[in-house]
Amino acid sequence: MAAMRARNKIRAPRRGFPSAKTDDFESSWKVLSASLTEINTKNASALSFEEIYRSAYRIVLMMRGDDLYENVKSLEEDWLRNNIQQQVTESISTSLIRPQGVVEMQDQSNERRAAGEKFLSVLKERWEDHQLCMGMITDVLMYMVSGSIATRAGRRSNSPSQDRIISADRTKPSIYVVAMALFRDHVLRAAVRAESETTVYDILESTILFMVQLERNGHIIERPLIRHCIQMLEGLYENMDEEEGAKLYHSMFEPAFLRTSTKFYQGEGKRLLEIGDASTFCRITSQRIAEEQERCRYVLASATETKILHILDDELIRKNIEEVVKLEGTGVRHMLDHNQLDGLRNVYQLNARVDPKKDALVRAINKRIVELGKEINASALTSSQGQALSGKSAEEPKKTEKSKEKPVNQQTVSAIQWVDDILALKRQFDTIWENAFSSDQGLESSIMGSFSDFININPRSSEYLSLFFDENLKKGIKGKTENEVDALLDNGITLLRYIKDKDLFETYYKKHLSRRLLMKRASSMDAERQMISKMKLEVGNQFTQRIEHMFKDMTVSEDLSASYKAHIAQNADPDQKRIDLEINVLTSTMWPMEMMASKEGQVQLPCTFPKEIESLKQSFEKFYLGKHSGRKLSWQAGMGTADIRATFRRASGKTQRYELNVSTYALVILSLFNDLPDSESYTYEEIQGRTSIPEHDLIRNLQSLAVAPKTRVLKKEPMSKDVKPTDRFFFNNEFQSQFVKVRIGVVSGGSNKAENQDQRKDTEKKLAEERGSTIEAALVRIMKQRKKLIHSQLMTEVLAQLSARFVPDVNMVKRRIESLIDREYLERVGEEPPTYGYVA
Amino acid sequence: MWHGPPSRHVYKPVEDRRLRDLHASTRTSMASTISEYVTLVSCDGFEFIIPRSAACVSGTIRRMLDPSSKFSEAITGRCTLETLTGIVLEKVCEYLLFNEKHKDQANVSDMDIPPELCLELLMAADYLDT
Repeated sequence: MAAMRARNKIRAPRRGFPSAKTDDFESSWKVLSASLTEINTKNASALSFEEIYRSAYRIVLMMRGDDLYENVKSLEEDWLRNNIQQQVTESISTSLIRPQGVVEMQDQSNERRAAGEKFLSVLKERWEDHQLCMGMITDVLMYMVSGSIATRAGRRSNSPSQDRIISADRTKPSIYVVAMALFRDHVLRAAVRAESETTVYDILESTILFMVQLERNGHIIERPLIRHCIQMLEGLYENMDEEEGAKLYHSMFEPAFLRTSTKFYQGEGKRLLEIGDASTFCRITSQRIAEEQERCRYVLASATETKILHILDDELIRKNIEEVVKLEGTGVRHMLDHNQLDGLRNVYQLNARVDPKKDALVRAINKRIVELGKEINASALTSSQGQALSGKSAEEPKKTEKSKEKPVNQQTVSAIQWVDDILALKRQFDTIWENAFSSDQGLESSIMGSFSDFININPRSSEYLSLFFDENLKKGIKGKTENEVDALLDNGITLLRYIKDKDLFETYYKKHLSRRLLMKRASSMDAERQMISKMKLEVGNQFTQRIEHMFKDMTVSEDLSASYKAHIAQNADPDQKRIDLEINVLTSTMWPMEMMASKEGQVQLPCTFPKEIESLKQSFEKFYLGKHSGRKLSWQAGMGTADIRATFRRASGKTQRYELNVSTYALVILSLFNDLPDSESYTYEEIQGRTSIPEHDLIRNLQSLAVAPKTRVLKKEPMSKDVKPTDRFFFNNEFQSQFVKVRIGVVSGGSNKAENQDQRKDTEKKLAEERGSTIEAALVRIMKQRKKLIHSQLMTEVLAQLSARFVPDVNMVKRRIESLIDREYLERVGEEPPTYGYVA
Repeated sequence: MWHGPPSRHVYKPVEDRRLRDLHASTRTSMASTISEYVTLVSCDGFEFIIPRSAACVSGTIRRMLDPSSKFSEAITGRCTLETLTGIVLEKVCEYLLFNEKHKDQANVSDMDIPPELCLELLMAADYLDT
C-alpha cells in the first residue's frame, strides 16, 4: 500500500528555468528586443515564435511583466519616432505644406495631386506595416497581456492594502492599443518640419479633402488609397477606451470633411442658380446626391453618408428649391406647360427629400392650375358674351354675327367648351401626377384642391356642368359604345366632385332632366340611369332621391296612359272623335317647381282649353281621381306637345293638309282660329283673354307660329319680329312646307340652354330658399338628437352635415337659428357660452 | 502509445478515418503554410502530428501558426515547445483531440487525468493558453 501511495504521489512540476535573477531578465529582454526589432523590420520568418514567447513567459514568471510592458512601449516609441516618422515626413513634398491659395492653377493642382498620392501611399504602407507588426508583437507577448496582468492582479488581491494598484493594473490598456496610440502621437501628430506647427495629420486631412474636391470636379482619383487612409483614421482613437465616437475619423476628419462640403455645396447651389435652368439644377443635384452616396460607401465611411446627404439636402435643395421652382422660363411652370415629366420627377424627388409635404412644388403647381383654370373660366365668359366682343375683335366677324343671332346658344356651347377644357386640363395633370410624382397622395389632394378652387371661382360651374351632361345625354352619346359613354360620364362626375355647391348642380340637373324626360329628348334611358347611379356613388343617396323619383313618375305615367286608353276604349262613345292622350303625372315636390308654378306674387289663372280638350281633361281627371282619391291634379300645359292635323284652303280652292307637331299652348291658340272666318283676325289681347296663357309663353308661341320663317301658320300684322299687344293675327292659308309633317318648336323653349341673367337670379333666389329649409332641417335634426348644444358646436355640426351638398353661409345659419327660436323649436338656455336647447 | 525517444508519432484517433493515409499527406504538404496537419515537438524530441483545427484550441499555438504573421512556425507548420516534455505533450494532444471530438456536445464526461501529471498539465495549460 505504501508503495502504491508512493507511486501515485503527485509529481512536483519540473522547474524548467532557474529562479529569477536580474541578469536573467536582462538576457531575456535582450533576446526579445532583438526579435521585436526584427519583426519591425519585417524579418520575422527567421524567428521562432516559441522562443520569443518563452522569453516573455519567463519574464512574466519572474514578476517583471510591468517592466516588460514599459520596455516594449519605449522600444516601439523609439522605433516610430526614429524610423517611421522620418519616412513619412520625408514623403511630404513642399507643395503639400504650402497654404492653399483660393485659386488653384491647373499644373499646380496636378503637382499637388501627385505629391499627395505619394504621401498617402507612404503613409498607408507604414500604417499597414505597423498594424501587422503590432499584431505579431501582441501575439508574441500574449502571455504578458492576458496571463501576467490577470494572474498578478489575482495574486495581489490577497492583500487589501494594494487595491489601488490592482485597479490601475486592470485599466492598463493592451500593448496593441498603446502601440496604436503611439503611432497616432509620434507619426500623425508629428510636426512635418522642425519648428513647424503643421502636423502630418493636417497634411493628411488637407490632402484627402483635396482629392475629394478633385473628384467632385470630375477628375478620377485613386479611391482605394484614400479608402485605406480613412480606414487608418477609423482604426485610431483619441483615447485608450476605444469608444466609437472617439475614433480619429469621427473626431477630426469627419467634421472637417463636412465643413468643406458645406462650403462647396453652398457655392455649387449659387452657381447652379446662376445658370438659371431648373432642369439642369435638378439633374446635377440628383447626380451630386448619388455621387456623395457612392463616395461614402466606397471611399469614406458609411456612417458619414447620412450626414453628408443632410448637408446636400440643406445647402443644395432646401435653400434653393423655392428659387428653382420659381425660375422664370425653366421652372416648374415651364415644365408643366411643356409636359416635361422627367424634369418634374426630379423636382418632385428633390423636394420630397427635404420636405415631406413638398410645399414649394405644391405651391407652384397649385398656382399654375388656378391660373390655367382662370384662363378657362375667362375664355368661357368671353365666348359666352360674344356680343361684347364683336366690336373689338375684327378678326372673327363671322363668329360674332352668329353669336348675335343665338346668344343663348352660344352660351351653351361655351359651357360645354368650358367643361371639355377642364377635363383636358385634368387629364394633363393626372398624367403628370402619375408619371412624375409617383402618385403622391398629398399632391393628389392638393391638385384636387386647386381644381376645386378655380372651378368654384366660376359662379356658373354647376350650370355649365349640368349643361355638359344634358348635351351629352341628348346627342353626344349617339353612336358611342358603352365604355365610351361610361368614360364620358365618369369625367363629368370627376368635376362634380370639385363643385362645392352640389345643391345648385342638383337644381340645374333636375331642370335639364325634366326637359329631357318630358320632351323625350333623352337618347338613352340606360345612360340616364347609369348617370344617376354614378352620382349616387359620388354624392350620396339623398342627392339622387328626387331625381330617381322623377324617373319613377315617368314609368308610372306610362302605365297610367295605357290604362286610360284601355278605359276610354271600353267606355267612351265610339262615334265621338277621340283624342289620344298621353299624360305624365308628376309629383310636384320632386320636379323642378319653376316650370309649373306661377311666378310668385301673381295668381296664375289656369289656361282655358278648347272644349274638346277640356272634356278630355275632365274625363281623365275622373278616371285618375277614381283610382287615387284625395289627390289634386293641376295641368301644366306649358310642357306638353300636341299633334294636330290642319287643313289649309288655298286661294285656288285646293286644300292642303299638314300634320303639325306643336306645343300645347300653340294647339290652344290654333284651335281659336277653327271658329274664325278666314278674313278675320284676333289681336294679341284677344288671344290672351280667350286662352289665359301666361304672357311669356304666349309671346314665345306666337313668335314661333307667326314670325319664324319656315313655320308661319299664322300671319301677323304688322310684320315684325316682336309681338306687341296691338298686333293682329290671321290664319295663313298660304302655308307651305315641303314635308307633310311639320314640327313647330317653341322659340327658345325647346332645348336646355344656359340661363340669362334674370333666370339666373331666379334660380339663385329659389336656391337660397331651399338652402334655408335644408339648414333648418339640419338644425332641428341635430338639436333633437343632442337636446342641448353650445352655439359653436352647433355651427360646426351643421357645417359638417351640409358640406356634402353646399357650403352654407354662416350668417344664414344664424338667421335660421333665430327663426327657429321665434317659432319655438329651439330655446336659449344659457348665455355664457351661448347655448340652445331643443323644445320637444 | 509512448514508444521511447526520439521517434515520430502520429497521434491518431481511432474514429478519424481521414487520418489513414496521413503519413503521406503530411510529408508532402509539410512546406505549405496552410496544411491540414501540424507537428508539435516536445523538448525531448517527441513529435506529434495532429489536425490543425485541434491544435488551434490552444491560443498560443494558434498565434504561433497564424499564417498572416511570418514566424518560422507559421511557415514550416512545426512547433517546438521547449517547455513541455513528451509525457505532458502527449496528454496535451490527447486533450486537444478529446476537445475537438466533443466540441459540440454537452455533458461530456471528464477526461482521465493521472494525478501525478496534474500540476505539470496545469502549467502547460497556462503556457499554451488553453
